Amino acid sequence: MPLVIFVDDSETALASTRMVTNSMPIEVKQYTEAQVALAEIKAGLTPDLIITDLNMPVMNGLEFLQALRDNPSTSRTPTLMLTTETKTELKQQGKALGLTGWIVKPFNPAQLKQAITRVLRLPV
Amino acid sequence: MLILDSIDSLLEHIEVVQKDVTSLSSDSLLKISAYIEKHQLEVDDDIAAALQYQDIITQQLSATIEAIESMRKSINKFSHTFQSDEHLAQDGMQKLQEKLNTTLAEAKDKKNRFSGKTSCDEVSDEIEFF
Repeated sequence: MPLVIFVDDSETALASTRMVTNSMPIEVKQYTEAQVALAEIKAGLTPDLIITDLNMPVMNGLEFLQALRDNPSTSRTPTLMLTTETKTELKQQGKALGLTGWIVKPFNPAQLKQAITRVLRLPV
Repeated sequence: MLILDSIDSLLEHIEVVQKDVTSLSSDSLLKISAYIEKHQLEVDDDIAAALQYQDIITQQLSATIEAIESMRKSINKFSHTFQSDEHLAQDGMQKLQEKLNTTLAEAKDKKNRFSGKTSCDEVSDEIEFF
């Protein structure tokens, strides 16, 4: 099963995504700190899709995305930003770093499932 | 200055209350989430949105806590200057006002930015793919 990584400093946000995706044919790993996810990726974890929050302490979503792009094994891994932020400049920064898409919270469960299905090319 | 000390105490109280509210709402939501997961209840659109409001509440409160901390720092700095030099305090009052205005503007900006779809009618449910 494809591996999807969720990164969000809010445990409640992670619980929401977990509840919505638990019926999907995917393996899910969740992290409350981007730097911890990054360390595991550098240690050999190979996600098929990364879904990250933007506003997080220590390492924010864009810094995480930059680090993913600098890492050979994730330089092209599809990555979605799942955030309350709606600022165009931030979307542009993400786009310039090769972000796959931008989802504004609160997300619609069907839309999130659809986005994961589309990016991973899962059977509908 | 006594008035500044009172304002500082009030801000400190608001900060403590906001942190407590954040912690309680998070705890409450995690318990509800655990119940939903344990009983494998289906999460429809409305429930999914309601569950996510907690995250938005936390971000909103965090932004105001940040603003309060910044204001308290500026007030304490000014208070200290006022006690040591009255002339410097005049200049300090101007700087304090500017700093408080900037902090308020930043806090208002964050309120808008961190609201997601809850306060932004033009943001649609469609996911933006690049």
